[in-house]
Amino acid sequence: MMQFTETPPPPLHQIAPFTSLPMNKNQIHHTRPWPGFPTSKDLGSFGDANCMEQLLVHCANAIDNNDATLAQQILWVLNNIAQPDGDSNQRLTCGFLRALIARAARCGTCKMLAAMANAHTNLSIETHKFSIIELASFVDLTPWHRFGFTAANAAILEAVEGYSTIHIVDLSLTHCMQIPTLIDAIASRLEVPPLVKLTVAGATEDVPPMLDLSYEELGTKLVNFARSRNLMMEFRVIPSSSSDGFSSLIEQLRAQHLVHGNNGEALVINCHMMLHYIPEETLTVVSNTNPTPFLSFETCSSSSSLRTMFLKALWSLDPTIVVLVDEDADFTSNNLVCRLRSAFNYLWIPYDTVDTFLPRGSKQRQWYEADICWKIENVIAHEGLQRVERLEPKNRWVQRMRDANFRGITFSEDAISEVKSMLDEHAAGWGLKREEEDLVLTWKGHNVVFATAWSSAEVT
Amino acid sequence: MNDSTASGEASVSSSGNQTVPPKPTKKKRNLPGMPDPDAEVIALSPKTLLATNRFICEICSKGFQRDQNLQLHRRGHNLPWKLRQRSSKEVRKRVYVCPELSCVHHHPSRALGDLTGIKKHFCRKHGEKKWKCDKCSKKYAVQSDWKAHSKICGTREYKCDCGTLFSRRDSFITHRAFCDALAEESAKAQTVVAPPTVDEDPKLQTVASSSPPPPPPQPQPPSPTLPPVVLSSDLPIQSPELPENPNPKQIIEDTHATTGLTGSCSSSSGSSSNGSTRSSVFASLFASSTSSASLQQQQTPGFTDLIRAMARSERTPEMPSSSSMEPISLCLATNHGSSIFGTAGQERRQYALPPQPAMSATALLQKAAQMGTAATNASLLRGLGIVSSSSSSSGQQEWSRQRIEPESASLAAGLGLGLPCDGGSGLKELMMGTPSMFGPKQTTLDLFGLGMAAGGGPPSGLSALMTSIGGGLDLAAAASFGGGEFTGKDTGRSS
Repeated sequence: MMQFTETPPPPLHQIAPFTSLPMNKNQIHHTRPWPGFPTSKDLGSFGDANCMEQLLVHCANAIDNNDATLAQQILWVLNNIAQPDGDSNQRLTCGFLRALIARAARCGTCKMLAAMANAHTNLSIETHKFSIIELASFVDLTPWHRFGFTAANAAILEAVEGYSTIHIVDLSLTHCMQIPTLIDAIASRLEVPPLVKLTVAGATEDVPPMLDLSYEELGTKLVNFARSRNLMMEFRVIPSSSSDGFSSLIEQLRAQHLVHGNNGEALVINCHMMLHYIPEETLTVVSNTNPTPFLSFETCSSSSSLRTMFLKALWSLDPTIVVLVDEDADFTSNNLVCRLRSAFNYLWIPYDTVDTFLPRGSKQRQWYEADICWKIENVIAHEGLQRVERLEPKNRWVQRMRDANFRGITFSEDAISEVKSMLDEHAAGWGLKREEEDLVLTWKGHNVVFATAWSSAEVT
Repeated sequence: MNDSTASGEASVSSSGNQTVPPKPTKKKRNLPGMPDPDAEVIALSPKTLLATNRFICEICSKGFQRDQNLQLHRRGHNLPWKLRQRSSKEVRKRVYVCPELSCVHHHPSRALGDLTGIKKHFCRKHGEKKWKCDKCSKKYAVQSDWKAHSKICGTREYKCDCGTLFSRRDSFITHRAFCDALAEESAKAQTVVAPPTVDEDPKLQTVASSSPPPPPPQPQPPSPTLPPVVLSSDLPIQSPELPENPNPKQIIEDTHATTGLTGSCSSSSGSSSNGSTRSSVFASLFASSTSSASLQQQQTPGFTDLIRAMARSERTPEMPSSSSMEPISLCLATNHGSSIFGTAGQERRQYALPPQPAMSATALLQKAAQMGTAATNASLLRGLGIVSSSSSSSGQQEWSRQRIEPESASLAAGLGLGLPCDGGSGLKELMMGTPSMFGPKQTTLDLFGLGMAAGGGPPSGLSALMTSIGGGLDLAAAASFGGGEFTGKDTGRSS
């Protein structure tokens, strides 16, 4: 891959368009308010989020109805009101616009669009491959992930107190970014430092944020860090995929459980924004290409989804604590318009928040927004197994966990105060809400991410 | 500004009974060093400024910061005492200058507004730092600063050995775990046969000194008791200035990556030229898919496969470096077979394709290789305009002009094909905005009327796209022609 990026500098005359670009931009801005013609700012009603949502919905309908003419008309309008450098709503809409074009291209309703889209893959915002240090500071910018980290760490720490061995299974989208603080907390707050075993699923999917480091190297760093904290740690990667419900991971854990039981060992399952990649009921797996991942589960039944089976399998491992953190939205509908509405009414949040922690035009901001765009495109343009962003709202996860016999654990006051003080380090719009046993991160009052903790112990 | 008392050894009390009518209008709080011009300027000696309890009781030698307090104290010894009466008139405002000649606050115009302020200033900036933090060895000249620091020491400032500074413990911990500095350090520690675990946890230090305090360990490395590791420990917490930093946070503008964005911005705001270029692109696309079967045939294999194939197979050296922005039409052209390469079929396409991407051929290939069919992107619509939006009369621009001419005619035809459009010339002009550059023919884009119908907005590529829905066939010809022509140019240039 590298040789592709390191192309020799282009001949000068070809650079010309680039160098003159800023000037052009200015000129365009100057001439923009054409006399008598409404600019996007003047469009008023066009500029607001509701209108944009309507247009996107119409466009989605048109695409699905094979109405290329209408679709393209709307796309054109959207193209004019949703600028990639506009305000947060415009950038949000731009992401959806891009996704709709990709969809149109994909389902072949507008072949010319397909050709266009393909011809311009190069213009798409590329998802960045983070170095580990980049990712650490990236994740640190906003409570989006830190909320879950903080809440989970606090709950885990309380749950594992007194165990001589702690086995942490980290199913996290963020490539173990939570682990250093957890190690640190274990090393400093537990009286007798336990042995820590860390198991991660070496995901086979490429889902942002992407890391340019292998898990083996990552593990070495973590073990080294743990040692610096006077903690013994073992690290293990089990190649495993969310698309089959982490079956190989479950298998290995189960084998271990059968042999050793959990004698003296606390089993911690930390699920950070990862479980929503496991297929749920709305995905009917066509098994001709993918020979039955179900086989790995004993309780295979046609009626239950991989997601359900995964949770049941998890419960059978008798974990000390399962922490489930995920984004509180519903991207599962098979109806494109429903999904679009749902995604539009959730993903404005990352766009809205970004102004509080990343300056315009910064590199990191491009990475950040590219990752959101990736998500939008996955929700909108893809179907079937390729559509991996299958978020479910908190209440549905709670129901799933209860159905799998898990018992909810309430977050302690300490945990809550830690989350609160973490939020104090961020912009004013973030908030914390307690809903029954769970915690919810909010932005301007809207639910963003939820954190729940569960135990497999029987209710006594 | 009244400089009357600005002498070296002037004491506070000496200037006590100046009476000058106070300024009638009360200002807001004065900024430091921006004194009220009417205030009385007082210069105190360094000795005075540093003295803590200047007023000493002659009986018991107890010192007081203020004469008033001493007087009250003297009362207890049954000594004569007197308290100054508060003058009926308001005391004149005083400001204080710093005795240090080189200091900006030495000049009366930058005098500080209160005695405590000047004292702290003098101590901090020109005094000895005698208060030292036990935890991090940071020194302070003013006791209150030291106290304030002691409270937050270990909670607010963290510095990794790599030089990156953190304000939050969590951030530091996470960074630290993954930073190469730790690996190096522990490697060092191991080779020196130091206990492997000592390098940075103060808890460990305390263990070493056999007192086990429960509070969470401080993240700072320093463990002075353990020589091998101290190497890294003189860094902690000190000065806030960031060293040259390998930290990814820093924002590096990278033209490579920004091009896509910038390009899209400029084009999305839709100048007339943008529109025209795009129209050609779209037009040809549409044409190919809607009109002639043969064209369609060629096109349908899809760029994706094509690109993928490319990415897998040879990467032809012809693909010029990333900056060939021009071109969309180019690729179309190649698809239509009018490429200058003159070879037929797939092979030719492969050569012709790369320049097409408006941004970077390499990026395109890369992307294609990575994503396969996941064709995406907003800039799709936007990137198109980039080239033509440059107003310089580069060869490129000329090119686009040339191309537009034939095309415009066909677009007009497209209009006829029943697209909802009012097409009036007045409207054209209205929407076109600046028609100057391309001359009359360019009015092609009166199809923007379409866009109006659909909801209005500045003209841009999509309008053309819509237009072309109807107008396919002719456009195909036009576009492919133009594209072909351009291909020639481009290859000529880049070779």
